[in-house]
Amino acid sequence: MLDSMSSNATVAKIRSLHGRMLTRDNYREILTKRSVPEIAEYLSTTRRFGELLSDVDPMTVHRGFLETLLEKENFDTYIRLCEFQQLDKVPFFGYQIEKAEIGCILMLINNINTGLDRSYLDDLPGYIIKHTSLDLLGLSRAGDFTELLKMLRKTKYHKPLVRVPLGEDGTVDYTECERRLRTQYYTNVIRHAEDSFPDSQSDEVVKMVKADIDFLNMINAYRMKAFYGFTADQIKQHQIKIQGVGKRLDNYYELETPEQMLEWLSEHETHTELAEDELIEVTMQRNKYRRLEHTIYRSFNAPVVLYAFTQLCEYETANIIHMIEGVRYGVDPAYIENNLLVC
Amino acid sequence: MGMEKMELVSLVGKMDELESCLSRCCESGCFHIQPAFTSAGAASGLTMLNEKNGYTAVLKSYERLAADLGIELKETDYSACTLKSPEDFANRAEEISSAFEQANTQKKDSLQKISEINETITQINHLQGMNSDFKEIFSCKYVASRIGRLPTDNLEKLDYYDENFFFIPFETQDLYCWGMYFCPMSEKAIVDDLFRSMYFERIMLPESIEGDADEAIKQLSADLVHQQALADEAQKTISSVSAASYEEIQQAYSKLRYLHGTFELRKKVGYLSGKFYIKGFVPTRDKKHFSELMNGLGSVTVSYMPPDADANCTPPTILKNSWFTRPFNMMVEMYGLPNYGGFNPTAFVAITYTLLFGIMFGDLGQGFLVVLLGLIVGKKLNKNAGGMMVRCGLSSMVFGTLYGSVFGFEELLDPLYEQLGISFLPLKVFKQTNFILITAVAIGVGLIIMSMLINIYIGFKQRDYEKAIFGCNGIAGLVFYSSVAVGLVGTMMFDMKIMSPPFVICLIVIPLICIFCRVPFSLAVKYKKFRLSADEEEKMTIGGFIVENFFEMFEFILSYISNTMSFLRVGGFVLSHAGMMLVVMTLMEGGSAISRPIILVIGNAFVMAMEGMIVAIQIIRLEFYEIFSRFNESDGVPFEPVGVSFAPQEQ
Repeated sequence: MLDSMSSNATVAKIRSLHGRMLTRDNYREILTKRSVPEIAEYLSTTRRFGELLSDVDPMTVHRGFLETLLEKENFDTYIRLCEFQQLDKVPFFGYQIEKAEIGCILMLINNINTGLDRSYLDDLPGYIIKHTSLDLLGLSRAGDFTELLKMLRKTKYHKPLVRVPLGEDGTVDYTECERRLRTQYYTNVIRHAEDSFPDSQSDEVVKMVKADIDFLNMINAYRMKAFYGFTADQIKQHQIKIQGVGKRLDNYYELETPEQMLEWLSEHETHTELAEDELIEVTMQRNKYRRLEHTIYRSFNAPVVLYAFTQLCEYETANIIHMIEGVRYGVDPAYIENNLLVC
Repeated sequence: MGMEKMELVSLVGKMDELESCLSRCCESGCFHIQPAFTSAGAASGLTMLNEKNGYTAVLKSYERLAADLGIELKETDYSACTLKSPEDFANRAEEISSAFEQANTQKKDSLQKISEINETITQINHLQGMNSDFKEIFSCKYVASRIGRLPTDNLEKLDYYDENFFFIPFETQDLYCWGMYFCPMSEKAIVDDLFRSMYFERIMLPESIEGDADEAIKQLSADLVHQQALADEAQKTISSVSAASYEEIQQAYSKLRYLHGTFELRKKVGYLSGKFYIKGFVPTRDKKHFSELMNGLGSVTVSYMPPDADANCTPPTILKNSWFTRPFNMMVEMYGLPNYGGFNPTAFVAITYTLLFGIMFGDLGQGFLVVLLGLIVGKKLNKNAGGMMVRCGLSSMVFGTLYGSVFGFEELLDPLYEQLGISFLPLKVFKQTNFILITAVAIGVGLIIMSMLINIYIGFKQRDYEKAIFGCNGIAGLVFYSSVAVGLVGTMMFDMKIMSPPFVICLIVIPLICIFCRVPFSLAVKYKKFRLSADEEEKMTIGGFIVENFFEMFEFILSYISNTMSFLRVGGFVLSHAGMMLVVMTLMEGGSAISRPIILVIGNAFVMAMEGMIVAIQIIRLEFYEIFSRFNESDGVPFEPVGVSFAPQEQ
């Protein structure tokens, strides 16, 4: 009872933070802006980002730095929420740090593959460094994949990556690395949830994580079929596979055409008709966005609500970045709004 | 007293009549505009007009002109202004500017320099750790150096770059670290690029800076005084031009604001195939007036629809109030407007607030002063606040008469009542303490029951059976609360044996069961289906249901008790008011003959100010927490007719 009461405070805090998130009206207001400084200035007047941007000069701030700051705010909020009731001592709550670490490793692999010399260090989000046990800065010394593996030897990321075959030109299959790392990530999250929480709580978390995996697999499978013409076997090979997840998708992978896949998604996932020329990601993510918002107010489980909230924050940042890009390139505001992930 | 009925209006017309149409919308004073497009609309080809407002630049130039001339812009009758197009306005602004250009340039230069100097001083303050001569550093032949700020998060990365440079931090804040980096002149481009990629913001120091940080600040301070003298001299010339063109600028600016404002409304206008689409709400009573205004526009068609015709538009709320209740609108707005079609609680608030204030602050003399003060406030400061004060003051006078209290003199009205033969009046507060406290609780019980009745009415209107029948403020709650109240009063005060088993089972236990099972019961009534939770996806177990509702029941019962007891404060303030006046009277009796009137005046003023304020706040608390929370849903949208605001634009 006491545990439940104590995590209720975190749930209440998250709900209050959710109330500060940008609304559709805020997005419309942003769409009336004509430049990045105007957007930065507007964001600095909102309750959500006002404090973060108080020291930033909207006229001189670099677009990239603005985006990094928004991402930093999400990460810091997550850390603050975890520390609020010392939830960070429970292994499950490291999920966002692990996700960030994977993001950095993948970024480095991509740089190694493309031969971009310094851009890993440039793009490495500095705010993560002090929260991770992985030597993210040290990894920048890795000149090739073999060196990277050596550096990761004593970490949990070595095992999934060591089996990825090295190409003759010294590059590795990025997609395979991503799949393996993500598979391990979701396996860890599920395991930590099962170990850390009582059954009723862990069931809810696991259900949510599994829905997340299904969501990724569904979008990836459609892309593979529609844009690369993959067969069902090839698609299955590239999915995130975790025991007990995604069995219902087997029929979906077997479908022969992208149109059939859209029909399946309309029937089983989005419950609205999906047109072929429509960005299915947007429709599906909007569905997910709605589900996440619903979860925040429905559930009383801190891990579930936090997991949903962190994803909503990411969507919010994606929306803002999308609008910044649109405004920079003079895209029609109505078109930008149409692709926002807010319902 | 209810709410104004609304109509959803759709205006469609040819683009060449858009400006006249918008202008008439503003003129009507009754059109609440809504964005014409939604995501669905955009998909169907309807796009938002996002044209650049041609008046923005010229409006800004007039604001700059006025700022340069030190003219405070205010709304002025612009009928005499003959300027029309943005070009006309811009040309005239240029003509006026040319008359004081030289002086203005001088002033701007000086102010610019002053601002730069201040900025530089601020920046140099961040470099206090540097004790070397700036000039020497910047004149190095083989070493390039840059001063600026680097995001603090990127500091650690610096050690991992192989390029040839070093960074010296001077001051580290949360977001930025102020410092300086050095690199060989030959590698300047690479290192600059590296720092740019880490979002280093460079600061340019004036070339004239010499010495270390402390010396530089001294030099800059002397320069600051010199520049200020130059700026003052230029200002004298500008003031003479300002006096000559004052009226003309005011008129031109007022006209521009109107033209700019109507153009801005285009952002909410949709466009498709050469036609514009405007959507909004108009109060039904203004429908005729609005249609007449639009009649003059040939291509514009006006269609009226029910207010709920478009799910993307929320109808705004206008509360309809009488002369007595109108000032209390302020309180309802403060709590949050009810939604369109909801219940207007203003009359209820007006009556209860006035009564409670009178009871808690009953004094014939002080009430009279509150009325006078209210009249002044209403005329000079705020009409609504003044109106509330007048009503509360009158109520205070009535209850003051009942208490027999005039400026704290509790016996002044006794002879009058004796002459009238009314033996039970005036009420002697300190002799009838129990009666006052019990009456206060009784008033509370009455008000809570009335709030529940209102909630039941709203619940039935919205077909929300949980709210109307089974909720803690529905019929079940009402039966439970009033039965307990009747039971307790009958048993404890009148020694009646009301609490018999049938009474307890029918009027207390059954309503409690209804409240406990309000969700499944209301779902059963609505959908003829048994479910423990309103959310179909939620798997609510019977154990979970019992635990959750047990705690909620605990909270409901606690709230019945605490809300009722909260009204004890009404009686408490009656006693406190009389007590404070007793202190004033005691002090007055102890004073000399000359000081007595002074003590009386100051004492009354003090009690009025302090007690009046506290009572007003306490009643707001009672209204919001004990009464509003039982029925009021404050999710309404205020009605905001389109118009042109004259408030200065954000710079």
